[in-house]
Amino acid sequence: MQQLPFVIAVSTFLVVLVTAAVYFLARARRSAGTTWMALMARLRQIDRDNFATVALDLLDERDAESQLDPDSIFEMIGGMDGLDAVEQNCDVLIDMATYVQHWYPEALEIAEELRLNSREIKWHIGRLRGASHTGHMYEQFPVYAQRAVATYYLMTRSLLVLYEGGQVPGFAELQRAL
Amino acid sequence: MHLTRLDFFLWAFTFVEDFVLLAVLWRFKRAARFPVFTGLIAFDIVQTIAGYLIQHFGSSLTYFYAYWSFGLLDVVLQLGVAYELCACVFRPLGPWAPDVKRSFAFLIAISLFVASVLTWLASPPTRYVRSAIVIRGDFFASALMSELFVAMIVLSVTMGLPWRTHVAQLTQGFGAYSIFGIIVDAAHTYFGTVGPAYARISHIRISLYCVCLAYWILAMIQDEPEPRMPDSLRAELLALQKRIAMVLRGFRELREGQCSNFLL
Repeated sequence: MQQLPFVIAVSTFLVVLVTAAVYFLARARRSAGTTWMALMARLRQIDRDNFATVALDLLDERDAESQLDPDSIFEMIGGMDGLDAVEQNCDVLIDMATYVQHWYPEALEIAEELRLNSREIKWHIGRLRGASHTGHMYEQFPVYAQRAVATYYLMTRSLLVLYEGGQVPGFAELQRAL
Repeated sequence: MHLTRLDFFLWAFTFVEDFVLLAVLWRFKRAARFPVFTGLIAFDIVQTIAGYLIQHFGSSLTYFYAYWSFGLLDVVLQLGVAYELCACVFRPLGPWAPDVKRSFAFLIAISLFVASVLTWLASPPTRYVRSAIVIRGDFFASALMSELFVAMIVLSVTMGLPWRTHVAQLTQGFGAYSIFGIIVDAAHTYFGTVGPAYARISHIRISLYCVCLAYWILAMIQDEPEPRMPDSLRAELLALQKRIAMVLRGFRELREGQCSNFLL
């Protein structure tokens, strides 16, 4: 009887540990076996021309300030819905870079870079969500949203270069989607 | 301490497998990539030889101190291996990503806490303080190692970090051995060190270690997939990534400026 608490604690601990290991290993296996079509299906639709315009407005090397006014940026991105789509697409882009590792194991580096870029985007979007709670959404939106979109745009360029240069199947579809 | 033929057989078999694995790590140039793991295997060989000699020529007290000292060093090296494997998985580009570092530090703290609580609950039925220390120490190490390996799996899947073949195979071996180690050490804690149960459980544990060693030997002989990316593509991606890094640095500087403005 003296050992009962120990036996219960160890049994619970083991069940939790084994369940977590099996669940996450199965998730990793499922993710490794993802098909190209399944990845494409996860991409949320965005207006890529508008997104490119907003991104290039910030990325173009010129001395002048942003030429787009805050209202235009909000409208072109599609407000917070558009940013939610960007946030979800970031995860898909990382999975797409991981998918390339079937052909090029060293694409791991690109996947990791995209993962770090994705963190930046999520940070910007997180700031906007915070601003919406404090009533500062209107002032903050153009600043953070445009940076998030610019970073996302650069991520998509990286991925397209990787797919095109590596002659990975699915490049044409990806180009149309991004 | 009386040792049976089976004890000697398992001892010798582990020694031979350790030796073969060390030779494979050296011959196939894996030692440079996994220096701590190679160190652990070399240490196991030294430990086996020293343990055999002390058991033959030393007193039981000397054997106890040797066992305990070797055990401590073994745990330190195993923690080193866990770090080495984490470094391979979580920093493929060199430096640790800030989000990974924070999450991993948090998981280490949780793992230490849970392992300590479980060890505190243990009360092995043994007459000697020395035996109790050894049993509790072994249990703590097994609990901690298994938590760390499961944490590694959870974190890498959550963060979307893929595993390279050798790292995955080393981790699978360590994970399985550590999880089984908890069952073995919990049984030691429950039954104590007296009676046939202790010996049987120890034999199962050593046998499992032999299986892990055989698995690692086979895994380390095989090569990982070779890099195949054309140089031109690699150069283009590198240039693009440099540009992205520069742009992001600019964003971050702006961000920090704004953060400090908020603080002011």
